[in-house]
Amino acid sequence: MAGVGSAVRRLYLSVYNWVVFFGWAQVLYYAVLALRETGHEAVYAAVERPLQLAQTAAIMEILHGLVGLVRSPVSATLPQIGSRLFLTWGVLWSFPETQSHILVSSLVISWSITETIRYSFFGMKEAFGSAPSWLLWLRYSTFMLLYPTGITSEVGLIYIALPYMKASEKYCLRMPNKWNFSYDYYYSSLLALLIYVPGSPHMYRYMLSQRKKALSKAKAA
Amino acid sequence: MKVTVVSRSGREVVKGGIDLKDSAKVADLQEAIHARTKKYYPSRQRLTLPLQPGKGGKPVVLSPKASLSEYCEKGSGSLTVVFKDLGPQVYYSTLFFFEYLGPLIIYPMFYYLPVYKFFGYEGERVIHPVQTYAMYYWCFHYFKRIMETFFVHRFSHATSPLSNVFRNCAYYWTFGAYIAYYCNHPLYTPVSDLQMKIGFGFGILCQIANFYCHILLRNLRNPSGSGGYQIPRGFLFNIVTCANYTTEIYQWIGFNIATQTVAGYIFLVVAASIMTNWALGKHSRLKKASLFDGKDGRPKYPRRWVIFPPFL
Repeated sequence: MAGVGSAVRRLYLSVYNWVVFFGWAQVLYYAVLALRETGHEAVYAAVERPLQLAQTAAIMEILHGLVGLVRSPVSATLPQIGSRLFLTWGVLWSFPETQSHILVSSLVISWSITETIRYSFFGMKEAFGSAPSWLLWLRYSTFMLLYPTGITSEVGLIYIALPYMKASEKYCLRMPNKWNFSYDYYYSSLLALLIYVPGSPHMYRYMLSQRKKALSKAKAA
Repeated sequence: MKVTVVSRSGREVVKGGIDLKDSAKVADLQEAIHARTKKYYPSRQRLTLPLQPGKGGKPVVLSPKASLSEYCEKGSGSLTVVFKDLGPQVYYSTLFFFEYLGPLIIYPMFYYLPVYKFFGYEGERVIHPVQTYAMYYWCFHYFKRIMETFFVHRFSHATSPLSNVFRNCAYYWTFGAYIAYYCNHPLYTPVSDLQMKIGFGFGILCQIANFYCHILLRNLRNPSGSGGYQIPRGFLFNIVTCANYTTEIYQWIGFNIATQTVAGYIFLVVAASIMTNWALGKHSRLKKASLFDGKDGRPKYPRRWVIFPPFL
């Protein structure tokens, strides 16, 4: 019975990873196409649907970690997915004024390169038992460039959206109300920006240590 | 006897080792290590027996009151201990004092000082009676905690790492400010008079119950702090292992019923989950402890709720 269970798990995770891989591959393709044919202002419109689908699907990964389907700790995946969803829905989709900015291109390309590598890596491991060493190398090396470019784009876009958040009062809850609660989206976003300051070096260092572990394990094997 | 002190990586912490009388206690060893290393006062030292290679399990921690000879290998007159630096330490009473002082001072600041002008709320503030009672209730609660820290609680460990001061103060002080902001807000909406009375009344009862729980727990411990676990008995402890946490949670429920803020309820949920974690650990330690397994005529730990009847 245990055999059937783990086979189902492998099948499910293979399908999941390859489907999401395909979504991100689309994002990358349409982004580069739009950049070359039109210009950076057109990138968002070209990638919006596959981006929203692929990024939102990542919520499943929190569930996978919670029920123990995968080994990744929820504490590492939650902030990562949180910031991605915040940018995708909370900034880009909510404030169209940001969509024509050039940072959208750098954001979308950084994310899609990283994710196509990551999902194909996991897809290979689940489907075939292992991934080729060049893919392992890519997975644990490209972040060294793509984390800084991606994080800069994220921080930049949040910053650009701030005045629009303040002016529109979107997602805000004001007092008085019977639950004596208030929420200000502008200040929450400022807080998110502040969290990037210790958060980014922490994530980068975490990936560096993962790199060391993964590449030395491959060498020993 | 000769004691060799090594770090976990095998390096000698005290060159040449330490010579002590055969009757020496672990505490004497700790004093000697402190004398030789200057930096590592006893409460910073964690001394364990070396793990046998191949064998798993947790290392045996040396108890300060025990004799060194209890840990020696049979027959030999020497001992090797593994040393770990726990980092700078503070007394638990110091830690608790500072973490509770924050809420005690911050909350009344929101009540008395014209803080809301900085948030853009000009003009006079109308203060509802519930807001005044809430301030007294809150301040009494944290004052009680500080008094208990110095006069009631007996701690199993004397010290805690210094880093906990920053972490715990951040938790208490941030939540204190967050709740105080809403409870004293110029646009605060009070609940009905009846709901306020029920909330505060229930809360006060639970605080009294909580105090009594602390007294019972204190009496479980020997004043010389000889440690060891006892089965808590009497009052609510007969039904629930961590009755002190239970009454504390219920006390916050009372406060929230009276003041009705989302911020207060968020704090309640976070505090309750932290305490539930502790309670689960305490409950399983008491059940598993070789003192209470019911074998060989030893008492068996009775069936009880962990923290929150009838759920957990």
